Amino acid sequence: MPSKLLAAAALALSAAFAWAQDRVAVGIVTSLSGPMAAPGKFQMNGFRLAEEEINAAGGFSVGGRKYLVELKAYDTRANPAEGASAMQRLATVDKVPVVLGELHSGVAAAEAAVAQDYQLPLILTIPTGPNLTEQGNRFLFRVNANNDQLTRALAEFIARQGWTPLAFIAWNNDAGRGGVNGMRKLLGEGKIGYVGYFNVGEVDFSAHVSNIRAGDARAVMLLMDEEPGSLAIKQVRDAGLKTQLVGTLAMGSDRFLKRLDAARLEGMVQYNAFPPNADVGSIRTFSERYRKKYGEEAHGFAAQSYDGLKLAVAAMQKAGKLEGRAIREALAGLQYDGVIGRIKFDAKGQAHPPVYVTQWCADGKRRILYPENLKADCGAG
Amino acid sequence: MLTAVLEQTLNGLMAGSIYVLVALGMVLIYGVMHVLNFAHGVLLMVGAYLCHFFFTRLTGSYLAALLLSIAALALIGIALERAVFRPLQGNLRSQVIASLGLILAIEHLVIALWGPNALQMRVPATEALVPIGALRFPLQHVLIIGVTLAIIAGLFAFLKYTKLGTAIRATSEDRQAAMVVGIPVERVDWMTFGLGTALAALGGALIGPLFLVFPQMGDAPMVKGLAGILLGGMGSVPGAVVGGFIIGITEALSTLVLPTDYRDSVAFAVMVLILLAWPRGLFGVRVRGED
Amino acid sequence: MAGRIAAAALAALLLAVPALAAQQPYVLHVLILTCLYAIPAVGLNLMLGYTGLVSLGHMAFAGVGAYTAAVLMVDAGWSFWLALAAGVLGSAAAGAAIGAVCLRFRTHFFMIVTLAFGLMLYSVMNNWDDVTRGAAGFPGIPRPAPIGEWSFGPLSHFYYLALGGALAAFAAQWLAVRSSFGRVLVALRQDERLAQAKGVNGMLYKSAVFALGSALAGLGGVLHVSFLRVAAPASFTLAESINAVLIVIVGGAGTLAGPALGALVFVGLPEYLRIAAEWRLVLFGVALVLITLFAPQGLAGLLARAWRAVRA
Repeated sequence: MPSKLLAAAALALSAAFAWAQDRVAVGIVTSLSGPMAAPGKFQMNGFRLAEEEINAAGGFSVGGRKYLVELKAYDTRANPAEGASAMQRLATVDKVPVVLGELHSGVAAAEAAVAQDYQLPLILTIPTGPNLTEQGNRFLFRVNANNDQLTRALAEFIARQGWTPLAFIAWNNDAGRGGVNGMRKLLGEGKIGYVGYFNVGEVDFSAHVSNIRAGDARAVMLLMDEEPGSLAIKQVRDAGLKTQLVGTLAMGSDRFLKRLDAARLEGMVQYNAFPPNADVGSIRTFSERYRKKYGEEAHGFAAQSYDGLKLAVAAMQKAGKLEGRAIREALAGLQYDGVIGRIKFDAKGQAHPPVYVTQWCADGKRRILYPENLKADCGAG
Repeated sequence: MLTAVLEQTLNGLMAGSIYVLVALGMVLIYGVMHVLNFAHGVLLMVGAYLCHFFFTRLTGSYLAALLLSIAALALIGIALERAVFRPLQGNLRSQVIASLGLILAIEHLVIALWGPNALQMRVPATEALVPIGALRFPLQHVLIIGVTLAIIAGLFAFLKYTKLGTAIRATSEDRQAAMVVGIPVERVDWMTFGLGTALAALGGALIGPLFLVFPQMGDAPMVKGLAGILLGGMGSVPGAVVGGFIIGITEALSTLVLPTDYRDSVAFAVMVLILLAWPRGLFGVRVRGED
Repeated sequence: MAGRIAAAALAALLLAVPALAAQQPYVLHVLILTCLYAIPAVGLNLMLGYTGLVSLGHMAFAGVGAYTAAVLMVDAGWSFWLALAAGVLGSAAAGAAIGAVCLRFRTHFFMIVTLAFGLMLYSVMNNWDDVTRGAAGFPGIPRPAPIGEWSFGPLSHFYYLALGGALAAFAAQWLAVRSSFGRVLVALRQDERLAQAKGVNGMLYKSAVFALGSALAGLGGVLHVSFLRVAAPASFTLAESINAVLIVIVGGAGTLAGPALGALVFVGLPEYLRIAAEWRLVLFGVALVLITLFAPQGLAGLLARAWRAVRA
């Protein structure tokens, strides 16, 4: 009798212990509403998937104690003042040991300044503005490739293919203009054709289509997200233009295929942070789990964010304590193999993940064309 | 070069058509009530969302969805007239501010209900390509221009030959005199408002299949439509038509010579320049009580 | 007498905030932002509330001041104070020049032309990559250099700068409104033709208030980017200009305290109303409509009415 009682008590105690397990709040800054809410969703998806996996495995241990991850997300709505407020809150009210996320480069700059004030590491997973990591901020890290890195890879590929002059239809924001400027620097002014900007929310590309038709560009680069992207491609192809198309990472997904059709997409190339169907173990597992949880193909932003949270946890473990400066030191020296590739931060806090170029095949699948050593055929893109 | 000019002119006619629909709605309301409804753009957007809703949930017929959304917006317009604009008649500043409030409330209500992502309204029948010379345009382009021209003709006939149309013209010209001759101006007010918002809804429903349906879709047409009215002359219906098309075609043609980032600025610059020369607009109507 | 005591008590309270909020840096942050939003609102209040000029491009002038100061500080190495003066003068000049064009138009024409100029200025901020660093923003903007041992890095120290700026703006407003200048502005709003018949040069006064309003916007803009340490076009969009109108109207257009109350509600409310941003803006929009219909003097008017009811 007493042994049964003891067993029951032990069971109850351990259940209570698990339920009362410590949690570490990890700060997230993202766009839950406003103009960047759509890509923001992919970012949160990646964080949530990582959070789920970490906690399902029992959490992580720091300094001998086990913790579960709890995300504390704030909506910064692509506004720098909101970003600064969110960081201020995370630093002094929620007192988190590390913050991740953001989409917009201008907002990230405001957040980075606050991060430095409070010696709170900020790990960016999407903003591409190159000058973010040029400010000498020891508490700022970036997991994703910046505009310079993306354009370098793409410029190399385009130059090799001989697809110049290169025309552009680009978003009139940091991502679009940054991309054009980057390509301009790398390819040289002579290889650049027509450059057409449009404001976020505009959907009529007829003016750009006419100008491209009148020019001599051999390829058109579309620097925009999926929503305007599908329209731009439709309008370009419907107008009878057969020019080679070059897209951005959002255009290399099945979700994008659903918006259009394989016929209009065939032949288009795009750069990608990671090809969801690649025959690499970690990528396949991630893609399967993502599809299971969200019912659609994984997006590059989600992969970057997923890796970001997992590596933050790895850094906390390495640091041995939940303190900003220690975590910062751990991040600086960390080498982490994520879904997007090997992540190791240089002296400026910038990682150098591989940049892929994928191409649409006639059957609606994709192949990997670049980098050379990771080339793969239709179905693996 | 000639093909480029032709192509852009047709593009401009299409964009201009939407601006004209918005401008007509606003100018009718302004003429009768002296109310400037800035919220017209969000009403266009609501028209598009309702059309999408009816099209995907209720009836698979684009035409039926279009007609239903027009009817719905007319009712919403009448409600707004009663609740917000009638009490504020005569106070221009307050009308503008109330309109801003409506824009904020309605736009974010749509985002809260439908989410921030753009919706696609695929109407396969309108995706056929129409060849014009060496160029090809989606059928919807042509449809938009055609429908707008038909509406313009219909509206002119309506204003000239029907009783309500004449009542609208009379009230616009001189409200007091209209009252004296027994025209029920209050009724004319809300009917005109309903008509104006119906036109906005039509614009939204027409753009829907061609582009995307998203919360900010009405902002640019509203501003451009307003520029068109100012250019054409406040209170002038032909002015609204001419103004809307001028803005549409000029901005499209400007992209042939100027960097496209400044396309919006071109439309405004044109408007400011014309207003500096003709402060009342091209067909400006001098109204009593304003100087 | 009661008014003087209340004013003194308020001043003491404002100065004591950093001491009171020593353990709550976030509260300090929110108060600083409130000051920074209130300053351009004062400018717009003078234009819209007192003179009846509804400008939908106000925050673009804040951007002119902000970027002028940013370029001078970062690229030319100027000190904060000189750059601040240049920024304010720059936005005043822009206000005078653009105002000269806009003021040739009346009411709704005026509104749409100010909106147009606001968009054009935004385009320049967003597209002129070489100077403004474009859409990605202009990071690395410094806080003012330390005065002796006193650094502007800590929140509590920057608070005094923000508070100082706000007090200067409100003082300017008070002086303007109390003077004959202010009376002429109100006369112009109420009946411009009558005022002109009495010999007032409407255009001159309106241009002056446009320039003054833009200068105050510039003051707010420079402090804003020094606080955030980044200047981004996203801070000076049409939406921000509409927010400024919201702040002025909700607070109470044409009242002295209006901009402060409006800014407090606009910045403070999101902190205490933990509902989704979308619904918050729906509420603000509805509030705007209701205020125009039922309480044209905004919060200041409602509070004044309550105060009178209590006193009676």
